[in-house]
Amino acid sequence: MSNDYLDLRVGEFLEQLSADEGAPGGGSAAALTVAFSARLVAMVARCSGESWGDASGIAAQAFVIAERAGALVQSDATAWEEALTALRHAEASTADDERKDFQLEQKLERAAAAPLEIAELGADAAALASLTAERGAGEYRADAAAAAALAAGGARAAAHLVLVNLGVRADDPRLARALASDQVAHDIATRLLESGR
Amino acid sequence: MSRLVTLSDAELVQHCRAGDPGAWNELVERYSRYVYAIAIRGFRLSDEDAEDVFQDVFTRVYTRLDSLRDDSALRPWIAQLTRRRCLDALVSKGREVPAEEVYSVDESTDLAEVEEAFTVREALAGLSESCQDILDRFFTRDQSYRTISNELDLPSGTIASRIARCLGRLRDQLEGRNDASEGSRK
Repeated sequence: MSNDYLDLRVGEFLEQLSADEGAPGGGSAAALTVAFSARLVAMVARCSGESWGDASGIAAQAFVIAERAGALVQSDATAWEEALTALRHAEASTADDERKDFQLEQKLERAAAAPLEIAELGADAAALASLTAERGAGEYRADAAAAAALAAGGARAAAHLVLVNLGVRADDPRLARALASDQVAHDIATRLLESGR
Repeated sequence: MSRLVTLSDAELVQHCRAGDPGAWNELVERYSRYVYAIAIRGFRLSDEDAEDVFQDVFTRVYTRLDSLRDDSALRPWIAQLTRRRCLDALVSKGREVPAEEVYSVDESTDLAEVEEAFTVREALAGLSESCQDILDRFFTRDQSYRTISNELDLPSGTIASRIARCLGRLRDQLEGRNDASEGSRK
């Protein structure tokens, strides 16, 4: 099995996603969705260079966001697998072991960090989609709206994974950041999709 | 910001020749990362060996600056000194360095990337502080638009456009450099 999902063909990744294993799971799929969104924004921006002076600068940012989201496809799965293993060990253990508790907490922290980052990248991809829909070439505006919808989907899925992480409490600032990112992406996607009808 | 930071290489060399100690500090500050990057990324030297190369290169720059014929060619001169010292370091460690490696090392991808990174860094220095800051936040520190917006107290909807405009200025700087270097070769 490949150690890096991005090295797989799309069909192979989809096979792994549906396999009877915990990872890759929702976080990896959310990260890939955000990467799709950002790449789509890059395409629209690059196709709009003649009429939009900032297009190449927007495309450059979209590439960076896609790269970061792409890296999270793997790292989210790794962090989630490690947290799941630690959780199972903790459940199987009857001893009151502070060191084990601390290690579990650390693993859960890492498992929450990846989806938080995915949610924030989703909000950023949606912001770029909004700009490309406004300023990009008219024939590609539907693609920009599609990119915003993908970004919003990725951000919402990722924010949900932060919400259900056992290491994240209701008043945790990370949860507030994830939900705020979800809201930003959702608002942009809703606006663009409605304006295109 | 020190006035020396804004000097061109040629002007900096003239200040060094005139005995301005601040200019020497600026020269070392400007090129220390460059020398380390060539030693570590280009030649895979250890930190310890890279430190030796660093000391030796700047000692030679200090003692031989008068031998530099074209003051604007400071950077290629430092690069050449560094590459020679790196090869010396490899040989002294007992590693055989075939002749073809001596000549091909200039074209290695890692060295080309070091050169490119340094060119971009120099071009960045020519941008406004606000542009340098916002590009650093997004591209180097991986900050989200929301974080940048909060920390700089800017409307979140304007961040991506600001970054794009700063990238445009950076491109202008880089193209200006290329035009100048092509012109100087003619």
